[in-house]
Amino acid sequence: MNRRRVLAALAGVGLTGGSAWVARNGVPRPDEDVGGAGLPREVETLDAPGSTAGTAAVPVPETPTVVDLFATWCAPCDEQLEELRAVEGEYPEVAFVSVTNERVGDTLTREDIADWWAEHDGAWTVGIDPGSELLSAFGANSLPFVAITDAEGRVVTEYSGVAAAGDLREDLDALVA
Amino acid sequence: MDGVRERRSEELAVSRRTFLQSTAGVAAVGAAAGCLGVIGGDDSPTVLSEPDRQYDNEDLPYPAWGQRVPDVAVPTALSDSEVSTRDVSQPALYTFFYSHCNTVCPVLISTMRNVQTHASNEGYADEVSLFPVTFDPERDTADRLRTYGGEMNVDVDAGNWTFLRPADPARAEAVVTDEFGVAFERTHPEEMEMYMFTHAALTYLVNGDGYVERAYRSKAPNEDQILADLEQVREA
Repeated sequence: MNRRRVLAALAGVGLTGGSAWVARNGVPRPDEDVGGAGLPREVETLDAPGSTAGTAAVPVPETPTVVDLFATWCAPCDEQLEELRAVEGEYPEVAFVSVTNERVGDTLTREDIADWWAEHDGAWTVGIDPGSELLSAFGANSLPFVAITDAEGRVVTEYSGVAAAGDLREDLDALVA
Repeated sequence: MDGVRERRSEELAVSRRTFLQSTAGVAAVGAAAGCLGVIGGDDSPTVLSEPDRQYDNEDLPYPAWGQRVPDVAVPTALSDSEVSTRDVSQPALYTFFYSHCNTVCPVLISTMRNVQTHASNEGYADEVSLFPVTFDPERDTADRLRTYGGEMNVDVDAGNWTFLRPADPARAEAVVTDEFGVAFERTHPEEMEMYMFTHAALTYLVNGDGYVERAYRSKAPNEDQILADLEQVREA
């Protein structure tokens, strides 16, 4: 089901998430011409369990990071959160960040997202990406989408579709060993 | 005068045949290939310049930049009415979906929903029309679409959001595939009781004069790009 792409193998040709996005869509954006695809990106973070209101750079600088892109309407994203929760406590040196590209407004407020987060036992930084810029930077075209970045901010693995806890452990073991 | 017009038409015939046929040469100015920046002056039917792309319009199986929106009337799903595409007199977005879809469609619909929220937050809610068109009229009933809209955090009662629902599967194919160029086909996944579809992903931005400004051929349309394009078209 899930499409796992190990990007390290492609590093030689510079096919980062960003340029893969360009390749698929043919819409180059200025900040994606360079390696790194416009990452890290500053996102607004919410007041929610494990998260405080403010801003955060994603991926987290100088820190291996698991980036989870989700939406509150996306049922498999609930499952993804469960898989991530199973793993998160085992890797204190890894940052976890979940970000939704939903635009907040009357039909969905910051509080609604925080409530969703609490209901699903989220326990780390959760943020919003109105405009889907983070989504674009990672080249994600479906949800859930999980990217794992190393301490230098390079995307080493990404998943379109639910990433299983076992697979995530393998990736993280290789990264932090 | 005639000589000039003829020469121009000849040049354009190479790249803009379809376009010229449908508009009888009136909008010839501005269709020159590779033109950047401000184009066409008053005669151009579009606000946005030609997108950077590999193909000419006649090679594309769907209405593209500078072509008129297909001329169809489609019933509205949540009310007893219909929308005639060429009577829409303000910028509009069209996308094509079915609500049982788990992968591509929710992304298309959520992009449109994000545009709706942006419009509402920024005070231009009544200056854009949003038309998600289902190609599964059998299952996408009014109740189903209302619930679906709610799950997707759409304001389905706002005046700018109108689910369109062709009367039956044959009409869905006539409208969605034959007119808008969005192919879809039923599938019967082994692990599922119900039918699904494979389908193309397209979102159109049409200006208030009924000309296609952009055809976003993407499973994950770039929301910022759409908002920027829409703003230009709105303010033209």
